[in-house]
Amino acid sequence: MGAVAFVETVGRATRARIERVGDAAAFVGDTLRAVRDARTWLPHASEQARRLGVDSMPIGIFIALFTGIVLALLASYSFTGAVPLYFVGTLVEKTITMELAPVLTGLALAGRVGANIAAELGTMKVTEQIDALETLAYDPFAFLVVPRVLAGLVMFPVVVAAAMITGLAAGWGASALLLDLSTSEFLKGVRLFFDDFDVRYGLVKSASFGVAVTLIGCRRGLLARGGAQGVGAAATSAVVFSAIAILILDALWAVVWLLGHTP
Amino acid sequence: MKHRQDFIVGLTVIATVAALIAGVLWLQQRDPAHRRQRVVAQFSDVGNARVGNAAMIRGVKSGRIDRIELADDGAVLVRLSLDRGTELPRDPVVLLGESSLFGEWQATITERAAVPRDDAVQRQLTGAREPGLIPGATLPDIAKLTVVAGQIAGDVANVAERVEVAFDDNAARELRGSIRNFAILAQTLAKTVTDHSGDLDTLSSHLQDAVNSLNRTARKTEQIAGRVDSSMTSGDVRRMMTDFAAAAAELRVATATIASMTQRLAGSQSRLDNFLTSGDSVLMKINAGQGTLGRLVNDSSLYVDSDSLVTSLHGLVQEIRANPKRFFSMRLF
Repeated sequence: MGAVAFVETVGRATRARIERVGDAAAFVGDTLRAVRDARTWLPHASEQARRLGVDSMPIGIFIALFTGIVLALLASYSFTGAVPLYFVGTLVEKTITMELAPVLTGLALAGRVGANIAAELGTMKVTEQIDALETLAYDPFAFLVVPRVLAGLVMFPVVVAAAMITGLAAGWGASALLLDLSTSEFLKGVRLFFDDFDVRYGLVKSASFGVAVTLIGCRRGLLARGGAQGVGAAATSAVVFSAIAILILDALWAVVWLLGHTP
Repeated sequence: MKHRQDFIVGLTVIATVAALIAGVLWLQQRDPAHRRQRVVAQFSDVGNARVGNAAMIRGVKSGRIDRIELADDGAVLVRLSLDRGTELPRDPVVLLGESSLFGEWQATITERAAVPRDDAVQRQLTGAREPGLIPGATLPDIAKLTVVAGQIAGDVANVAERVEVAFDDNAARELRGSIRNFAILAQTLAKTVTDHSGDLDTLSSHLQDAVNSLNRTARKTEQIAGRVDSSMTSGDVRRMMTDFAAAAAELRVATATIASMTQRLAGSQSRLDNFLTSGDSVLMKINAGQGTLGRLVNDSSLYVDSDSLVTSLHGLVQEIRANPKRFFSMRLF
């Protein structure tokens, strides 16, 4: 009897996991289906773009500013005596554009945007505002989810692009002011192995991060139950799952796109 | 309010995208206005050269590699964009090679005459190429040179190992003995040199004289050569040669004449020999008193008779002079 109960427990757990995956897939499907309802989401798109993108610019630039400085100093520290100093430019450019700007900005926006979306939608959920929308014949996906996801898709790359420019400029400034590395030497290092693929790779990756963060935030918010505690839990889980999704996507893009690419 | 949000979002997107595109173009040193000059070089292989590598002329960065593409004939075309106003060297070629130990490559545009005398490089440069394309060659990269250096190092290590094996204690002792002997030899040589330094001075003086003489001789030879040269130039030698030819012809005629005379002399000599032989025989007979002449020569009575005959004839002549009519009578009828 005990063995049967154990098997039943395993089966239940498995089914629960599969149901979660299925629910997530259904959520994505509903979102895609709602994209067709442009008259509902289009009026809210610019507002979400401002809130998710423009308002997030300072944090993205701030992170990139210090990342660029630290990266230049770290490269200089590592290269001393072994590698020419102009490779500082190479390292700063490659690292900022391909990895640090998208991932660090994505993680920062996962905390800011993901939590914001989850808390906002969670509050609407627990206060039955979403039920009211459905009563008014509004599709909650078209009205709430699609504008946010599209804003994340479009504005995450914009924030990351600003972060790339800032990080590179910060590395340049730090090299010139703190490392006694001339501008021409730094640029030589940057241009040495620069490829526009680096930028495309970072931007595409950040767009996927934007979609993942907003989708997870919306889903966690719409799943919120109870009162304020449920909203807080939804915000927390949105940040956690967004961070995990960002790291998994980061590795996935590297495997899918970097492995087959030759500079 | 809504329009303001749209404007802010649009402005942010446009500004960021514009800055990003400008940054990428600047880092790639793109030339959207096509103000840079472009040249195309043909290679059989481009090694590790990449788009963006520097193009150098006489050590100065003058452009970059814009594009690398495969041609239909199996070659590789490398398109270079050069700074505006850059002048290419005469008869230019493009050499691809590493610019540092860290994987950087560069394209060096130089004159064909300045290309290293390497068979592989020369072969690449002389390969078939289309008109308008600059010939290119790829220099051996540092990895290959390192492999060769590694082989050399291995060989040196083998040699060192063999020397180590061969150079045991016995060899060291022998080497010490050889060095000692060499020191003694050096001392002896030094003493000899000291003892014979005077001789050496004399010898060197003589040598100096000899050298001076040789110098003088050389100068004279040079003068003679100059004269001969001037003679050659003025035609004297040609005239001399013509005279020599004429003299040689005359000599040939004289030689023929002498040969003919010699033949005739040989005939005369044989006849003279015969004559002498006959004369000798005659003389022998005469001496022997044989024959009339022998008897005449060897018998004095003939002389006496002859003398008396002459005396008688003399008396007769005198008598005839005195009495001619006694002996001669003239009658006409």
